[in-house]
Amino acid sequence: MVTLMIVPLGLAVFIGLHRVSYSTFKNPVFVGLSNYLEVLSDPAFWDAVLWNILIILVVVPAHIILAFIAALILDQVTGPIRGFYLAAMLLPMIVVPVIGTVVFRQLFDPSGLIAWFFRVVLGERILFTETFMKALILIHSTWISTPFALVIFFAGLQMLPRDLIESASIDGANRIQQIRHIVIPQLRSLFLLNAILAVMDLLRLFDNVFVLTRMNPIFHSDTMQTYLYRIATTVKRLGKANAGAVLTVIIIMVVLIPFLIYMYREQIEER
Amino acid sequence: MQPIKNPLGRVFIHLSIWVFVLYNSVPFVWTFLQSLKTKKQANSRTPLFWFEPTFEQYSELWLEKVPENFSVLVYTLIAILITLFLFSVIGKKLSISSVAIRLIILGTIVLMLLSIPLFVKTAEFYDYFVNTMIVAIGTVIISIGIASLSGYALSRYLGIAGVILIILALAFRSLPRMAFGLPYFWMGQISGLYDSNFLVIIALAAVNQPFAIYMLRSFFKDIPREIEEAAMVDGASRFEAFIKVIVPIMWPGIITTSLFTLVLVYHEFLLVRILTLKNWTLAVAMQQYLGGISDSGSLPLKSAAAVSAALPLLVVILFYQKHLIKGITAGSVKG
Repeated sequence: MVTLMIVPLGLAVFIGLHRVSYSTFKNPVFVGLSNYLEVLSDPAFWDAVLWNILIILVVVPAHIILAFIAALILDQVTGPIRGFYLAAMLLPMIVVPVIGTVVFRQLFDPSGLIAWFFRVVLGERILFTETFMKALILIHSTWISTPFALVIFFAGLQMLPRDLIESASIDGANRIQQIRHIVIPQLRSLFLLNAILAVMDLLRLFDNVFVLTRMNPIFHSDTMQTYLYRIATTVKRLGKANAGAVLTVIIIMVVLIPFLIYMYREQIEER
Repeated sequence: MQPIKNPLGRVFIHLSIWVFVLYNSVPFVWTFLQSLKTKKQANSRTPLFWFEPTFEQYSELWLEKVPENFSVLVYTLIAILITLFLFSVIGKKLSISSVAIRLIILGTIVLMLLSIPLFVKTAEFYDYFVNTMIVAIGTVIISIGIASLSGYALSRYLGIAGVILIILALAFRSLPRMAFGLPYFWMGQISGLYDSNFLVIIALAAVNQPFAIYMLRSFFKDIPREIEEAAMVDGASRFEAFIKVIVPIMWPGIITTSLFTLVLVYHEFLLVRILTLKNWTLAVAMQQYLGGISDSGSLPLKSAAAVSAALPLLVVILFYQKHLIKGITAGSVKG
């Protein structure tokens, strides 16, 4: 693990210090920190960072709420039909994300279902403007990250101690009160876990933005990853892209430090 | 939670669950329908739900040209599948060990898929499919091999360094693909391995390693120490105890982790995209059917590609759904 992971990271820092393009792989020119400074002073980079953080702020609460409600409802269903429901709900997670995105996007094409719905009900055509594309990215990210959280919540609900809820209902607590005062506190660690995993995944969001926007710059919806991809392929500056990659690693680490400290404490206790 | 008894409540629950089911599955069903249409039908402005299905998109995708004895081949394929199914049913009755049955079935299917080009002239899409199989199996073998050893060590070693390594493994899971993809890209260009399956396998194993280690460790933790201590008292070395005692008990855990690695490899897009020129896996091959910036490509062909690229994994998952769900919950709910 150490050689496979740390060596490339070190190499990324090293390449970031050089000017490398596609024709000069073998003799990079040392340019010091200028690549890093260039990325830091690039407004497009900061736009990407802000947009990425906005995605996290919207999608994480949205998908957790959706998944929790779905898990509560699914928990009410019994019998073999439950397996079918669960399998149908897990589809977005099992199908390759790129394909999931293609499939999702098709609904909004002129011949797609939702576009048709818009035309019939609202009498409007769907225009792919910047705002619409950003909304689409938010909706799609929520859609694709819900199933995983759903499975975790569902498993958590199965493991809830029965007697706790029974005694509460004998004491006259209604359903909302039971959920509010017993279920949510019991599942607190699962809420946190879902949040951590979603933040981790959204920080490296790439696939769905790539497919939805087809890397078209008019949408201004680059995340950190697509920004780096653009620099590495269309502008063809590997050194700058590597410097950017190192900077995103630093940003991600800063965001994750509170979570990691929490995990660390938990692991130490468990030991 | 106790089930709601009120009949009105039951109706409400089933209605709302259907909302969620539709929300999650409509795009896929729609794409499947689209893939069976002709170009003209697919582009129609009012969606068609009832039409004569056609398989021409699939044959365009997979085959260079349709051979004359095509129907014979399809019937042979179906016959082989039915025989396999019967074998699995009879095998259970005859009490052949279930591992052997699974291995035989898996081996036959792999051989069958690999022998397809001997009979039919296949198109590019089949090459991507074979590439995906090679990359997926290679990555699973390498990363499980390394991860089971280190996951075992981490579950037994209780020092503070072990905790730090686990936290690091989790942190690495969240690192951006670009930070690994670009250095590997550079190494590949220097060493001439760019666009080879080997480089992709190494890079994917590196990226998926931390997750596999984390998951296997949570399985290993459940095995009581006494078992391997007993083996070591009987004169086995630590490694022998691991191979002969721990691994057999751990099969379910190892299968679950392999399944997860397989899913992650199959899903990987960015890393493979950077490291290859033409040796794509299925996920990456999808992009050439997307169409350009303004036009949206051939709709039914795109849908057929999406369905065919998604199906192999779906079939595998169908057989191992229990393992998948167990794996998701193992690392999380148990702690």
